[in-house]
Amino acid sequence: MLFDVERTTIAGRAALTVRGEVDIATSAQVADAAASLLDTAPAGLVIDLSPTRFLDSSGARVLVAIARRCAAGGIELHVIAPPTNRPVRLPLELLQLDRVVPLIGSAGELPSVSAGRETP
Amino acid sequence: MPGGAEDALLRCADEPIAVPGAVQPHGALLAVTEPDLAVVVASANAPELFGRPVAGTSLDQLLDDSDTARLRAGLAGDLAEVNPLRVRLGGADVDLVLHRADGLLVTEWEPVLGAEQAGAAWHRRLPTTLQRLSATATLEELTAVLARDVRALTCFDRVMVYRFDAEWNGEVIAEDRRDDLEPFLGLRYPASDIPAQARALYATNWMRLIPDAGYRPVPLEPPLTPSTGRPLDLSGAILRSVSPVHLEYLANMGVVSSMSVSLIDNGKLWGLIACHHYAGPHRPSYSDRVAAEFLGRTASLLLPTLVGAGEQTGVLEVAHRQAELASAIGRTPRALAEALTEGEVTVLDLLPASGAAVRINGQLRLLGETPPADRVVPLVRALLAAGAPVTDAVSRVVPEAADLAGSASGVLAVEVVGGQEDFLAWFRPETLREITWGGNPYTSKTAQTDAGPRLSPRRSFDAWSETVRETARPWREHEVTAARSLAALLTGTAASRAEEDNRLAAALQRTLLLEQLPKVPGVALAARYLPSEEDVVGGDWYDIVPLPGGRVSIVLGDVAGHGLAAAAITAQLRHALRAHLLRAPGPAAALDGLNEVIGALLPGELATAIVAELDPATGDVVVANAGHPPVLIGTAAGAAYLHEGRGPALGLLDVADYAETRVHLGDDDRLLLFSDGLVERSADGLAAGLEDLRAAVGAGPADPQQLLDAVLGALNPPRTDDVTLLGVART
Repeated sequence: MLFDVERTTIAGRAALTVRGEVDIATSAQVADAAASLLDTAPAGLVIDLSPTRFLDSSGARVLVAIARRCAAGGIELHVIAPPTNRPVRLPLELLQLDRVVPLIGSAGELPSVSAGRETP
Repeated sequence: MPGGAEDALLRCADEPIAVPGAVQPHGALLAVTEPDLAVVVASANAPELFGRPVAGTSLDQLLDDSDTARLRAGLAGDLAEVNPLRVRLGGADVDLVLHRADGLLVTEWEPVLGAEQAGAAWHRRLPTTLQRLSATATLEELTAVLARDVRALTCFDRVMVYRFDAEWNGEVIAEDRRDDLEPFLGLRYPASDIPAQARALYATNWMRLIPDAGYRPVPLEPPLTPSTGRPLDLSGAILRSVSPVHLEYLANMGVVSSMSVSLIDNGKLWGLIACHHYAGPHRPSYSDRVAAEFLGRTASLLLPTLVGAGEQTGVLEVAHRQAELASAIGRTPRALAEALTEGEVTVLDLLPASGAAVRINGQLRLLGETPPADRVVPLVRALLAAGAPVTDAVSRVVPEAADLAGSASGVLAVEVVGGQEDFLAWFRPETLREITWGGNPYTSKTAQTDAGPRLSPRRSFDAWSETVRETARPWREHEVTAARSLAALLTGTAASRAEEDNRLAAALQRTLLLEQLPKVPGVALAARYLPSEEDVVGGDWYDIVPLPGGRVSIVLGDVAGHGLAAAAITAQLRHALRAHLLRAPGPAAALDGLNEVIGALLPGELATAIVAELDPATGDVVVANAGHPPVLIGTAAGAAYLHEGRGPALGLLDVADYAETRVHLGDDDRLLLFSDGLVERSADGLAAGLEDLRAAVGAGPADPQQLLDAVLGALNPPRTDDVTLLGVART
């Protein structure tokens, strides 16, 4: 199975796009990629699970760890998991991960980066 | 290098040095036929030496009868035993030296007058000198003795021993010189200083002499040998005129006279004894030159042993370090990275390198001078991918790593199999940075003083520097072998550690799974546990906890993760939940308590659990669910998931505040609890897996044992994760 974590930019934010299956064998790569990105102290982080085809509890555990680190560091986190992506969305719902990890359905739900700024 | 000198070198490389068509003027050459000794080719200075024209004559006419007889007697045997034949010409002693070339007898006539003689005293000391040579134990000693004795014999101002590397660059490794001369010891010369055709010649012809680098070449007459139509082959001639480029090179170094003797190891040119004279022309006698050549030949015979001994020294040291590291690993097999980097002997000590990297279990540790941490892993990965994990020129394999030449021009990398892309790597810097100087080439007194193409030690060093840019000292075979052995040992240790972990985890898991389900009055129970095939131990657990008053708690849980760590956490959670179930007023309160345990004692861990508390007497069931797949209730009307009473996974929130929901279990109904391994890998996803399971339970038998077999048969879950099922019915 092809697995890959790509560093991208989504709606002006630093992002990780996760393709393939996140399980015991691959979740550490998500953790590593997020850790090195968070080391650069970005304003926000988006994890895009739209192209993710599977996610098990070890993947969920990594997402929780990332969410905690973001919360502690004041970094705005969004995890994109479209409701149509059932293989990912359902385990997240069973675990009620949304109570710690900010889940959104698509990139379109991301607040504008400049929102809240006054325009001259 | 300026264009002029480069052109000079290129011209030099093209030069037909074996057939220059001329000789040096310190002797005369006659090529004669055999057996009548008729002169066919003569050097233009021969008439002067013989005091008469030589063309059309024969040696019978040029020599007196007794010398002719000695010559003819010598021709029947080995010419090397005849040389030199001391003859008299016009009242003067002349050394006649013979060899054969182009089907002719080449006779070279060198007047004794004007030659330097070391004298009989030196020749009497020869046995002592030979003894001194053969008594040397190291290459350093041998070459030092060689330089000193060749200088004592030949009285050159400077005698150097020069060693070629694999690319034919030379290094001065021993030197004996006039006290007022600056040292050349440690100087390097690029391969271009001694072109390939010269090296080929030196491998067969042991000795070259240029008594006066300012000489005017003496042409051969006729220029082309009549029998071959080509210039006479002078490759074996002692008077052979050398390349003008070489003379220019010598002149630029201030060298007036030069002699060199080949050092040959197992048939291959290994180095040279290079002799320079600055004070003026200098010509050691033929017999002194033969003695010097003899010393060179003797040293050449000793080379294989001493070079081998030198390499053996390195081999023993590396083997010793390897044993020390192996014993450190043996003492702490569970802390390999520490054993390799924190002990008295570290991986950096294993072999000569300036830096080392250890990646064990995905954790990188650096020792000494290495590239920055974020470059090490990509560099090693690229070298392994390129199939060149052992290289002394990294930038030729991975061009984008050229900027790392200062710390990693050479890399020796070995994989540690079975880890998380684990490896060991050693680094060597660009060779230039390793050079220690015997003398400083930048203050050379013989450096360039006027315009025009000039070659000098300084320029040679610069040229040599260019050839070694971005390359490191090569890795020796025993070093590579030692590195591979260490990696193999680590692989083995990691593998046996993984096995040991698996045994431990399996033992631990057995304590988590019940050997035998407890007998609970009024309840029929069945359990199935299928361990993962990919990882011996998963995080699933189940438990049956009889409660006061006849009720029973049926528990199924799952800790995120696999292996020993997950199994250890699973054991703790199982026991903690058991304690809470016995004390708490209900399943939700027990899960609240368990959630607090994780938050306080196991931060960062994530687990799910479901608890169904059954009163066998009434069939009342209270269910609380912490992020686990829902319980499935099968009735005569079919099967349905209990979606109520669900809460977050354990460890997610500080205060979870779990809810409870109640259902009634009729006489013919059954409950099914399961771990996600049963359904998550369904071909069409978790949702489809859940639906398949519901259908299987709805259609399945009522007896819990039969039901579980039917479910497993219908779903046939892949064994990538562990799978646990509990079936419950009333009796």
